[in-house]
Amino acid sequence: MNAETSLAAARAALPPRVARPGARRVLEEKIVIRDLSFYYRDFAALKRIGLALYDKQVTAFIGPSGCGKSTLLRTMNRIYDLYPGQRATGEILLDGENILDPRQDLNLLRAKVGMVFQKPTPFPMSIFDNIAFGIRLYERLGTGELADRVEEALRRAALWDEVKDKLRQSGLSLSGGQQQRLCIARAIAVKPEVLLLDEPASALDPISTQRIEELIAELKSDYCIAIVTHNMQQAARSSDFTAFMYLGELVEFDETEAIFTKPREKRTEDYITGRFG
Amino acid sequence: MTAAILPALRKPRLGRFGDPAFRALTSAFALLVLVILGGIVAALARGALPALAKFGLPFLASAAWNPVKENFGAAAPIYGTLVTSAIAMLVAIPLAFGIALFITELCPAWLKRPLGTMIELLAAIPSIIYGIWGLFVFAPFLQAHLEPAIIASLGALPGIGALFAGPPLGIGLLTAGLILAIMVLPFITAVMRDVFATVPAILRESAYGIGATTFEVVWRVVLPYTRTGVLGGIMLGLGRALGETMAVTFVIGNAHRIQASLLQPGTTISAALANEFTEAVGDIYTSSLIALGLILFIITAIVLALAKLMLIRLEARAGA
Amino acid sequence: MSAALYVRRRRRNAFVIGLAVAATTLGILWLALILFALLRNGIAALGPDLFLRMTPPPGSKGGLLNAIAGSLVLTLVGTAAGAPAGILAGTFLAEYGRGSRLAAVLRFLNDILLSAPSIIIGLFIYAVMVLPMGHFSAWAGAAALAIITIPVVLRTTEDMLGLVPAALREAAAALGAPRWKVIVIVAYRAALQGMVTGVMLAVARIAGETAPLLFTVLNNQFWSTDMNAPMANLPVVIFQFALSPYADWQRLAWGGALLITATILLLNIAAHLIAARSSSSR
Repeated sequence: MNAETSLAAARAALPPRVARPGARRVLEEKIVIRDLSFYYRDFAALKRIGLALYDKQVTAFIGPSGCGKSTLLRTMNRIYDLYPGQRATGEILLDGENILDPRQDLNLLRAKVGMVFQKPTPFPMSIFDNIAFGIRLYERLGTGELADRVEEALRRAALWDEVKDKLRQSGLSLSGGQQQRLCIARAIAVKPEVLLLDEPASALDPISTQRIEELIAELKSDYCIAIVTHNMQQAARSSDFTAFMYLGELVEFDETEAIFTKPREKRTEDYITGRFG
Repeated sequence: MTAAILPALRKPRLGRFGDPAFRALTSAFALLVLVILGGIVAALARGALPALAKFGLPFLASAAWNPVKENFGAAAPIYGTLVTSAIAMLVAIPLAFGIALFITELCPAWLKRPLGTMIELLAAIPSIIYGIWGLFVFAPFLQAHLEPAIIASLGALPGIGALFAGPPLGIGLLTAGLILAIMVLPFITAVMRDVFATVPAILRESAYGIGATTFEVVWRVVLPYTRTGVLGGIMLGLGRALGETMAVTFVIGNAHRIQASLLQPGTTISAALANEFTEAVGDIYTSSLIALGLILFIITAIVLALAKLMLIRLEARAGA
Repeated sequence: MSAALYVRRRRRNAFVIGLAVAATTLGILWLALILFALLRNGIAALGPDLFLRMTPPPGSKGGLLNAIAGSLVLTLVGTAAGAPAGILAGTFLAEYGRGSRLAAVLRFLNDILLSAPSIIIGLFIYAVMVLPMGHFSAWAGAAALAIITIPVVLRTTEDMLGLVPAALREAAAALGAPRWKVIVIVAYRAALQGMVTGVMLAVARIAGETAPLLFTVLNNQFWSTDMNAPMANLPVVIFQFALSPYADWQRLAWGGALLITATILLLNIAAHLIAARSSSSR
């Protein structure tokens, strides 16, 4: 056995590290990820990730394409389970319970951990039914109550005033930015506790992007939010914590201000100053 | 550890059983395809058993077809099936190639869609229409114009003259083969057009870029690239031709004979079935017809399986 | 560079292009000839009698009322039985079975069934239904048509569900919807137009099928609504009347042929229009 492999063995024996930068403030840990690795068949897309996400805070994930930031997001509601050949090892604790447990009910998990995707994904049905779809899955409501819930969700997503007169029209008739807010409204209508946003503004124009960012700031007070973004300014503007990932590893995780002003790692500094990626 | 994370009031409506139930339902119907195919083979084999037991392997080689003496053989219908299909392919392949070449390389953009639709309409016309048209329009035309000319010219040649001997009847193997050609033409054309479209534009453009003519691009670049797909399309058409019933039944003449001349009446497996099955008396007669059906099913299944394998291979390459 | 060689190449190219144009013209001409013959002979048979009177005995006047009604019933029952089965089977291949070996094998077998000679389907139904029941029946005919419908609908359903973006399924699953609701409420709706097109094409296909009806439903000279007995139907009437020596019967056969072709072409054109609309709205 040579020196290098024995070092690796020694490191593997250590308890996995969980990055917790929030010591200075009193924050509630919503999701704790321990020693998480992820595989697309034989390819390791995530390598022993460990970090904590706090309730009522926005955590941004940045890094060059293919660094695993979207993959990490997709483990938190186990949406990867739709595809054979994809698997995760380690632990993801949501309120202390490991959601990677095979006995975990995926549908209940996903009702609790909402997700918004890169491109808007309105269902081919009316605006009202788009929102009501998720609500009807878990609750049996009267017509009036259901309408109230739809309105509430649309108001929270700052879309109500634009669509209140055309709730029966197809969700596909909205503009791109409106469609994305519809998707956010659809996600929060289910009353999740965590919101996963996978580059939610990358397909949108600057004005729509700004509205989405305002919306994130607004929603923060109620949810634990994780956002993947390509856009460094967006991460700096709208997040409390930032994780920089590279080649499937978590390089640095800290308060956003610290990451963007005094990064500890050379690679982080290179990336945020635009020297690579 | 309990898996229930959500409060009890938020229970999904159909519980945990909705998904396994729907999965089981859809897979049951998917397996139905297997059951039907297996059922076809089993039912035909069982029905064919008495005839095969009585006549044995010589059934395939015997040209006898005598309902009175209950002596049957499959050679004449098999011969007719193969000959009519061969004529059909001989005529349809070059035509289909020409049309596919026209659509993919020559045709102005505005004409592409209408032409494509027209081909699909041609494919949608039911075979009985081809049959009635063949009987009342095409066969008389052949009898009055084309066949006398063929007999006078080709029939006088030594050797191949035997293929075109006899009086012009209008109905017969040649007529059936030509009607089949019209029927399978749209199928082959459609597949050829589709596989020609799988050639990467860059390949085609670089060939044109070095000054190749349209014909050279198609012959040296497009055709070699799509060879397996084109073959698959041809086999698909062949599968159709072998099993086609109504278009042939009208114009073949239904004679259980093997004759050299293509202008004389013959029969095919499917035409024999269509003409005789409901009138067949006696178990051996019926069983012999079912045995013909079994032979036809086996031949077409092999041809279609080869066609599919070729097309799948092309798809795999286009996808890679 | 040899000028002679270039001229020869261009000549050969022009020759082949000429042949291609000729082949295309011939193809169109053929379609035109068939449609022309159909129209000329069919219109002569058209008239109120065609739709109001029953199929006649030889030598007297009549219409195709019972055959038209029978064809409608057979097509309807065949589609009602075959289309849902094909949709569910296609759903398995596109959703639960996607990428699996089982799905690949079933897809292959389905393609064989799709192109199997339809007269073989008739033989099969004769063996498993007509023989045990002891008589020809409309049920048997409808069953044969259903078996022809299944692979057509299965194929289009699978293709159309395959075109539904994965993001849409993920979005529905991310809301906590179980797989079957993702499929039934979201994927079906997204693929609806294509699936409807597939069913219409299947209807067009079975509406003109003759061979599988010959030894299942047979024919009936009279009006019958009994599914348990032979029933008149257009294709078999056309077959019998066209091959008869009676001019009246032959005329009716042309009339029936025109009716069937018009129906099928209209169904096809409608299906194409629906497909075109759905592809332009994406």
